[in-house]
Amino acid sequence: MMKRLKIVSWVKPAIGLLIPLFILLIPADRLLPGMSPVEHRVLALFLMAALFWIMEPIPVFATSVLIIVLELLIVSDQGFLPLRQGPGGEEWSNLLDYKEIMATFASPVILLILGGFFLAMAATKYRLDQSLAGILLKPFGSRPAVVLLGLMAITGVFSMFMSNTATTAMMLAILAPILQKLGPEDTGRVAFALGIPFAANIGGLGTPIGSPPNAIALKYMGASAVGFGEWMVFALPYTIVLLLAAWGILNYLYPFQAVSVELNLKSRFLRSTKAYIVYGTFILTLGLWLTDFAHGMNSYVVSMIPVAIFLSAGIINREDLKGISWDVLWLVAGGIALGLALEKSGLAERLVTQIPFAGQPAFLVLFLASFAGLLMANFMSHTGTTNLLLPIVAAMGSSGLILDSIGGTGALIIGVTFSISVGMALPISTPPNALAQAAGGIKTPQMAKAGALVGLTGLGLAMLMVVLLKAFNFFQS
Amino acid sequence: MEKIYILCVEDQREVLHAILQDLEPLADSFILEGCESALEAEELMDEVDSRGDLIGLLICDHVMPDKSGVDFLIEVNRDGRFLHTKKLLLTGLATHQDTINAINQANIDRYIEKPWAAEELVLRARQLLTLFILDKGLPYEKFLPILDTDILFERIRKS
Repeated sequence: MMKRLKIVSWVKPAIGLLIPLFILLIPADRLLPGMSPVEHRVLALFLMAALFWIMEPIPVFATSVLIIVLELLIVSDQGFLPLRQGPGGEEWSNLLDYKEIMATFASPVILLILGGFFLAMAATKYRLDQSLAGILLKPFGSRPAVVLLGLMAITGVFSMFMSNTATTAMMLAILAPILQKLGPEDTGRVAFALGIPFAANIGGLGTPIGSPPNAIALKYMGASAVGFGEWMVFALPYTIVLLLAAWGILNYLYPFQAVSVELNLKSRFLRSTKAYIVYGTFILTLGLWLTDFAHGMNSYVVSMIPVAIFLSAGIINREDLKGISWDVLWLVAGGIALGLALEKSGLAERLVTQIPFAGQPAFLVLFLASFAGLLMANFMSHTGTTNLLLPIVAAMGSSGLILDSIGGTGALIIGVTFSISVGMALPISTPPNALAQAAGGIKTPQMAKAGALVGLTGLGLAMLMVVLLKAFNFFQS
Repeated sequence: MEKIYILCVEDQREVLHAILQDLEPLADSFILEGCESALEAEELMDEVDSRGDLIGLLICDHVMPDKSGVDFLIEVNRDGRFLHTKKLLLTGLATHQDTINAINQANIDRYIEKPWAAEELVLRARQLLTLFILDKGLPYEKFLPILDTDILFERIRKS
């Protein structure tokens, strides 16, 4: 084995800080003609965010909070006084409203994700997930390939509502007895252990609350934003097709030697009043999400309903509240704050107009942005990738670049977001991948081969989906 | 509001009766139940759990026919449904190895030797129930009179 070079701990933060500082030292006009000092600082901040999210010298959520705090200090209307005023003592016109920056902590997208967290927490606490898994797995019998399909289907469905990581952890626990029984030479072990995280990553695309990048995508779609049900109209077929493709790929690469496997799952639904409230709230929330066109309450508003019910009924208590993944919420908030600064300072538009896109076919732009997203997402957090790419991509849409031939900004954002979410070639690509490697004893090349194939299939399918959506004129913008 | 159970498992009827008698001061806030075997206890726990109620404390003898107390506690320890349930082993006849298993595999919270003193049993039970309520995040206010204040204050101070 190759001896790894140990990178000294201060190198990464130093690179992440020095490059942006260097950019700040270059006169603004030299970088981009007409760029204002505020845009200049946002550009440096964006570079810092990108370097920090890629190299992770500090945790990704810490980078997010750092972005928000730095924005408040150097580009907000309540920041450090000398930074607010031009040479003549007048305030810069494109400073950000500090309230808007702070409000990113509670933006509708964050609350949508929070509502999803509450549903998932209640489902886990009252064992709705385990009970359902037991019942849903029964019809899949005992043939290994069919059992794998069943496990992947259920993982996919669950990760549409629960975090991909939590779903993977639960399903890997169910899978553990099977893995123990399969012989060490049976390549089917690899298929089983990879099927779960792949299905979780793919299933996470199914609904707006399935994983944070989806919610972020909704935010940037602006005028062409879709409702919960509309999202599922295209996302659900996509996840089904890609799940089947991933199943086929795993079966082909890692065929089973075992003839039959057995799963013994005790599944009994809890029968207490609180458990019934959980079931009822689940159905109610989902129903309201899917019928937003009829009652007019959008998905953000509906997502607050389970929060209120579960807290009032004592289903989520003080101790549970402490267990909420604030890191995920703040990671997203930092991304929104970064997008806000790019947009409000005018930098996003300036950057996009500087790059000669106008001459390029819109589909090429879509493909290149999606491919870049897929590539980045294999090496860094999907939410981080989304946070960095979508503000730029959204600006492309509004910058005179002719996107009508692919269906406008909405189509571009959907294509890129889906491509990001199928980045799953490496253990570091997503937390589910890392869990599966730890639990299933999978070697990285095994994961890379299958994950790259699934990722590229996903990218191709995403492009196809955009073309189909355009054919049906889905995004009427 | 879900009910919290104290479950005692002891194969000798008169001993079981004596344990329940000693725990009587706790009966206002918790539900006292006795079982004469591990199998009976399993059934009852299953039943209590599926109603949405909680097993807060399990007091268990070791030497019993069919299934020993330590083996039973090991199973409970592995059961995700009873993650926070506190386990007290009450026995006079556990061997050195049994005791090691009880600590390493069953993760028991307290060990009391027979014959026991009523005050000690009640004290340990109160301590464990306090921990259970705090671990579960249940509102502790209505249990205040019987909770162990040392543990309670320590926890609140730290959080």
